Amino acid sequence: MRTGAAAGHHGYYHEALRYGSDDDLLAVVVPFLLGGVDAGEPTFVALGERTGGLVRSALPAGCPVEFLPGGDLYARPAAAIRFYRQLLAEQVAAGAGQIRIIGEVPSASFGATWDWWARYESAINHAYDEFPLWSMCAYDSRITPPAVLADVARTHPRFATPGGRHVPSPTWTPPRDYLRQALPVVPDPLQAQPPAVELTDPTAAEARTAVHKADQGQVPVDDVEDLVVAVSEIVTNALRHGRPPVRLRVWAGDDRIVATVSDAGDGPGDPFCGLLPASDGAPGGLGLWITYQSCNHVTWQRDDDGFTLRLTAGNAYTG
Amino acid sequence: MTSSERRTAPGGHLCWSYDDPESLADQTERHLAASLAAGERFWYVTPRPSDLVAERLRALPGFTDAVRRGAAEVIPLMSTYSPDHVVDPPAQVAAYAGATDEALADGHTGLRVVAEATELVRTPAQLDVFTRYEHLIDRYMRTGPFKAVCAYHRPKLGDRTITELACMHPQTNVEDLLFQLYAVAPDDGHAAIAGELDMSNHELFRTALDRADLRPVDGELILSAADLRFLDHRALTLLAEYAHRRGATAVLRTPRPAAARLVDLLRLPAIRVEVTA
Repeated sequence: MRTGAAAGHHGYYHEALRYGSDDDLLAVVVPFLLGGVDAGEPTFVALGERTGGLVRSALPAGCPVEFLPGGDLYARPAAAIRFYRQLLAEQVAAGAGQIRIIGEVPSASFGATWDWWARYESAINHAYDEFPLWSMCAYDSRITPPAVLADVARTHPRFATPGGRHVPSPTWTPPRDYLRQALPVVPDPLQAQPPAVELTDPTAAEARTAVHKADQGQVPVDDVEDLVVAVSEIVTNALRHGRPPVRLRVWAGDDRIVATVSDAGDGPGDPFCGLLPASDGAPGGLGLWITYQSCNHVTWQRDDDGFTLRLTAGNAYTG
Repeated sequence: MTSSERRTAPGGHLCWSYDDPESLADQTERHLAASLAAGERFWYVTPRPSDLVAERLRALPGFTDAVRRGAAEVIPLMSTYSPDHVVDPPAQVAAYAGATDEALADGHTGLRVVAEATELVRTPAQLDVFTRYEHLIDRYMRTGPFKAVCAYHRPKLGDRTITELACMHPQTNVEDLLFQLYAVAPDDGHAAIAGELDMSNHELFRTALDRADLRPVDGELILSAADLRFLDHRALTLLAEYAHRRGATAVLRTPRPAAARLVDLLRLPAIRVEVTA
C-alpha cells in the first residue's frame, strides 16, 4: 500500500527537491523519512557526506533509516540504476508496499559530466517505474548551475517543497521525448589535440590494440582493461549496426584515455540504451550497457555527420 | 605476437598451412633433423609416397641412413588412417599411441610425425570428425612422447577450413588466427583457450568447443586462459551455456580481472572466473 503524497500512485513517484538552505532541506527530508518509518516502509538516505550528516543528526536516535554510501553509489549512472533496481526488487520481494529514498547526485557531476546524469535523471522515470518507489533527488540551488536546474525541472515530474507540498514541474518532459533531444556535450580539452591513434573501419581487435597503445600507465590497469572492453563493444556495434565509415580516435592524457567511435548512422533507436540493459534484445544494447558500466564518462552525440560515442577511462574531464 | 605472450602454449603439435609444396618440404626437413637429433623416430605420412616432400627426403643422406636404422620412414596415409578417409578419432589416437610405444620399445625417445592430411578434411563431414580427432590427439600429446606437424594445403581447402583446423592446435603458422583451443596437462584442467574472442570468431569458438567435447569432472570444466588476451560478453555467455548443457560450471582461470567483472555484471550462471596471479 502506498502512503503519503504517493498514496494511490502507481509506479515511481519521482520528485526533485530544490533547496536554498539547510533548513529547507531538513524541512522536507525529515518528515519524508519519518513518514516512511512510521508506515513501516524501507527508508533510505543516499546523500553526500555533508548533507547526509545534517539529516542523520536531525533524525531521532535509533531511527531505522538506512544510510547508503551516496558518493560511491553515484559514480556511474548505469551502475546506480543497476544498484537501485536490485535494491528495489529485493525490498518488493520482502513485501514492501512502498520504498522511500532521498538521493543526491554529487556536485562534482554538475560540470562536463552532467550530460550523462541528466540522462540518468530522465531515464529513471522509466527504469524504476515498475517499483512502488517514492524518491526525492536533492539539489542545493546555491551551488547548482542554472542549466543543471533547468534539466532537473525537465526530468522530474514534480517538486517537493517545505510545508509538505508537491508541485508539478511546468517543464516536465517525459523521458522518451527528453532523451531523444540532443543534449549539449562539453568537448574534452584533449580533443583539441590530434588523436594519438585514428583508424577508419578498424576490426574490433585493431580497436583494442589502439587502446593498449594509448596506455602509458596513466590510468589504473583495471580501468584500461574496462576501456578495452568498452571500445571493442562500441566498434563492434558500429560495424554491425551503424553506417560506414566507422572512425576510432584515441587520445592519451596525463590522467585519462579518451576514445571516440563514430559512424554515419543514427545511433541506437532505444532512448534508454546504455543506461538500461536492452530488455527486448535491441541491437547492440548489451554492449552499450556494458560500456556505461565500464567507463568513467560516456557521452553520445548525434549530428549531421552521424553518431558519436565518447568514452573516458581514468579521471573524466569535469570542466 | 611475442613469445612472452605465448608463454604457456605447449609444443609438439603444429598446424602447418602451406601454399607451396617446397615450403612444406623445407619444414619437413627441419623437423626430420630436430627429430633425429632428439633420438626420436620420424615419419612422414602422405597419401602419395612419391610426392615432392618424400622425394626430397629420400635425396638426403641423413634420411636414407635413418631409414636403414629404423629411425625414419615415409608412411602411406592409408596405412595409418582408415581406408575410407573418415578418421575414427579414438582408434587413430590408439594407433599413434601404439606406434609411439613401439618407437620407445625400439630405443627411440618418442615418435614425431609430419602428416600431409589435406585429403582427410576435404568434405564438411570429414572436417568435423578430423577436428575432433585433432583435439583428442592433442590431449595424448600432453602425456605421451608423440609430436605431430599437421600439414594442410591451403589452396585446396580454403581459408575457412584452415582456420577451423589451426584453432585446434597449440601452435600454427597461420598468421591472422585470433583464437586457439588446445589440450593441457591433466593437472591443469580440461583445455586452454588463447588469443582473443569477440564477435568475429564467435561461431568458430562455438564450433571448437563442440569439437573438443570437454567432459566435466566433479561438475566443473576448468579452462586455462593464461594466454587469452580478450574475451567479450558473447564468449562468456557461450561458455556458460556450453557448461550448463554439460551439467557443469565453467571455471575460467585468467590473470585478467575484466572477465570476472563482466561475469558479475551479467550475472552469468554456470561460469566462475578465477583470477590467477
